[in-house]
Amino acid sequence: MQDNMIKTENLCILDKKFAVINPCKMCQPMGAVQALLGVKGAMPIIHGSQGCSTYMRFQLCRHFREPINVSSTSMSEGTVVYGGEGNLLKALSTIWKEYNPEIIGVTSSCLTETIGDDMALIIKKFKNSHPDEDLPPIVPINTPSYSGSHVDGYDKAVKSLVENLAHPEGKNKKINIIPGMISSGDVAEIKNMLDELNVGSIFLTDNSESLNAPLNDDVAFLPDEGAEVEEIRDSANSIATISLSKHADSAAMFLQKKYGIKSISGPLPVGIRNTDQFIGYITKITGTKIPKSIEKDRGIMIDAIVDAHPYNYDREVAIYGDPDVVTGMARFICELGMIPSVVCTGTQSSRFVQDMENIAEENDFSPVILAGRDLYDLHQQIKCMDLELLIGNSYGARIAKSEDIPLLRMGFPVYDRLGAQRISILGYKAGIRMVDIITNTILENYYDESGHEFTNFNEISC
Amino acid sequence: MPFKLFEVDKEIPDREKHIYVKDEADPVEHIPKCNSKTIPGCMTERGCAFAGVKGVITGAVKDVVHVVHSPVGCTTYGCGSKRYPTSPDLPNGGKFPVENFNLKYIMGTDLKESDVVFGGMKKLRQSILEAAKEFPYVNAIYTYATCTTGLIGDDMEAVAKELSEETGKDIVTFNAPGFSGPTQSKGHHVGNLTLFNKLVGTKEPPETTPYDINLIGEYNIDGDLWVIKPYFEEMGINILSTFTGDCSHDEICWMHRAKLSLVRCQRSATYIAKLIEEKYGVPYIKVDFFGPKYCAENLRAVGKYFGKEAEAEKVIESRMKKIQAELEFYREKLEGKTVWVFSGGPKNWHIPQPLEEHLGMKTVAVSTMFEHEDGYEKIKERVGEGTVIIDDPNSLELEEIIEDYKPDIILSGIKEKYIAHKMGTPCMLIHSYENGPYMGFEGFINLARDIYASIYSPVWNMLEFDEMGEE
Repeated sequence: MQDNMIKTENLCILDKKFAVINPCKMCQPMGAVQALLGVKGAMPIIHGSQGCSTYMRFQLCRHFREPINVSSTSMSEGTVVYGGEGNLLKALSTIWKEYNPEIIGVTSSCLTETIGDDMALIIKKFKNSHPDEDLPPIVPINTPSYSGSHVDGYDKAVKSLVENLAHPEGKNKKINIIPGMISSGDVAEIKNMLDELNVGSIFLTDNSESLNAPLNDDVAFLPDEGAEVEEIRDSANSIATISLSKHADSAAMFLQKKYGIKSISGPLPVGIRNTDQFIGYITKITGTKIPKSIEKDRGIMIDAIVDAHPYNYDREVAIYGDPDVVTGMARFICELGMIPSVVCTGTQSSRFVQDMENIAEENDFSPVILAGRDLYDLHQQIKCMDLELLIGNSYGARIAKSEDIPLLRMGFPVYDRLGAQRISILGYKAGIRMVDIITNTILENYYDESGHEFTNFNEISC
Repeated sequence: MPFKLFEVDKEIPDREKHIYVKDEADPVEHIPKCNSKTIPGCMTERGCAFAGVKGVITGAVKDVVHVVHSPVGCTTYGCGSKRYPTSPDLPNGGKFPVENFNLKYIMGTDLKESDVVFGGMKKLRQSILEAAKEFPYVNAIYTYATCTTGLIGDDMEAVAKELSEETGKDIVTFNAPGFSGPTQSKGHHVGNLTLFNKLVGTKEPPETTPYDINLIGEYNIDGDLWVIKPYFEEMGINILSTFTGDCSHDEICWMHRAKLSLVRCQRSATYIAKLIEEKYGVPYIKVDFFGPKYCAENLRAVGKYFGKEAEAEKVIESRMKKIQAELEFYREKLEGKTVWVFSGGPKNWHIPQPLEEHLGMKTVAVSTMFEHEDGYEKIKERVGEGTVIIDDPNSLELEEIIEDYKPDIILSGIKEKYIAHKMGTPCMLIHSYENGPYMGFEGFINLARDIYASIYSPVWNMLEFDEMGEE
């Protein structure tokens, strides 16, 4: 982590340079698996040792509180020496026969990338050995865990899906939406807005129902909702692709380059301005008019922000997590009159740093920007500041507790609260709820029961 | 017909050998095939050897920092995931400065592509030095090989040896990369061997008594250890070392000085008890400590060994008196209810008999992720006729077990929990608990309370739409 990008004003001494302590990121296969869990009938396989799929299922289960199936090729000593071809062939056959998936996504791992397995070739062999069978599409996704992070893994998975499946055939008048790693609730918020705008869409991918499912005496081993294989094929025929998360736009770039489909990257529609921008893109691309219902929601959100301002203004906040969620929330926090004084992401990204610098310039403040750093660095930084709110995932709960700062949980993973997949921040409707939640957190912690700020009258000088 | 091929396993007939239905008439050697490689793609619930060593064995030690030599994933996923609380108390009377340090911090070398190509030794060296600098108060540094570092062949031992001298701290290397062995059980074994070979016998305890014991294979899940510890204290027995629940690094170093070892998790920790017996002549006995009957038996055995029978009886009597009324209440509510126990290993034989004897429940199915032959023999001995015993069940088998055996409750892990719930079957966590502790006399009441609460939750009566308005 020698080449970390840190803005130096206000910076504490962070002299840890090599080790990671309490990471603020996960490995690539985790992101790829999350993308695949938004594809209807998809079975993800991690080509590696079985710990990878078990660890990830554990993380995903405790976040979503839903059944999560991620298969493994269960590599062992012998197969490591001779290559994983036999294991992958056997796994494909087992999965295909046992689970009858509509599509199989095969991600690699640090193990199989290190030994150099050629997954595309092995998949081809599998197909060749079943010439007369109706096999589901099998998509290889190269996700070496020793480079990038889960954010890149998600991006690569969506790109692989599109590269392998997208097929040009006429025009469909739809907009492709690549959500990035956002909650089921947020995907649903975007879908609802597009419905209100009367715009057809293809989500690449769509976890809105697959990871927020009803209990009805029936268990789906593969996602029984989500982006359909046919929809992914049809993505080559859309009017444009909007990548809500900038860091998930490789598939959009591919579609633009190969099929001339316009690509728009972010920003994540959090808060007023970013949502305005999103709606603006949609109306510009499709010529649709903004309906009264959306105008009304925007108005209510503005009203809420006005009501909230006396409580929130000038309060300093730290935000950590995935880059697009952090920059989205940072801009929103500024709209509330608050100051995102520290922002941290585990992913090394110049785009993140650039976005944060733009937000800082627009709002005239200078945040400490920790990119490619970890939660230990964040904690050290927070210790030498006077912050009043933390925003991020459950891994920061320890920091919040030890520094006695309230934590607003969002992102991934959120395992110490219920309803992680329903935490939504995108668009005006969720935005209204977020204004309430943020402000009420401030009121709960810094105001008394009659709604007045705690004041130490001894400190007031005349 | 002792072995059973499930409907869902038609395409993987090898699974038949792993599923056995208990029949008293069968020869003893009829047990499920186990501890063998997983069928790739089978949707196993098993984990890896690294998880076995860090997640189970060493993650419970209170005063060491762990440096995972890996790309970032293994470090993130290995962070504080198992509920192993620790107290700040150290054996020398001092206090460790951070409570639950073991759950709060994990370090990693965050290997990048260039490290994979050119080797990760430099990064490991730097990271260990940073560990010593950032956490100067830790008493040792434990480092772990993972899949990548196992493959690129970094000589972690050499780094550890060199830096032990430089930092003045014990630096212990665990060589259990994820791909080694068929299950996490391999990691338990490596953990035992490493700690025995490198630590046991290297330090002396501040004081000894004629009543010193090692409590081996007890990890203090959600405070289990803290329930049974007072039993020993009241009997005048001193827990010299715990392996490894709420233990300090030094305690492991002086395990050779105990007079007796008790082994609770006999899957993950009998290894070290045997090694200590062989080398230092400390005998060991196997214990359960789940359920009042086993607790009483175990305390009596310890009492007998140390000539403290009367003290043992006193503990048993006081605790039985304390829990009797509640036990009767739960028995009344749970009599006849059926259960499926799906644990890593030992809880398959710890739990069924107490549930039956004290609560009148019937175990219809048991399954483990990583038991070996000796474990399955014990399981078979302790479950009732007709109970299905399954090695390493996959997701589809889970559904078939629920449909065919219709358990009223499942005791398992989080990966199975939500599958069971979607099918309308209550399921509670038995690896790390939600509302434990479950060990000891009092812990068994917690277990009974949680089983009762799960089965009798009002929500299960609301699954069907209730057309209130209809006349």
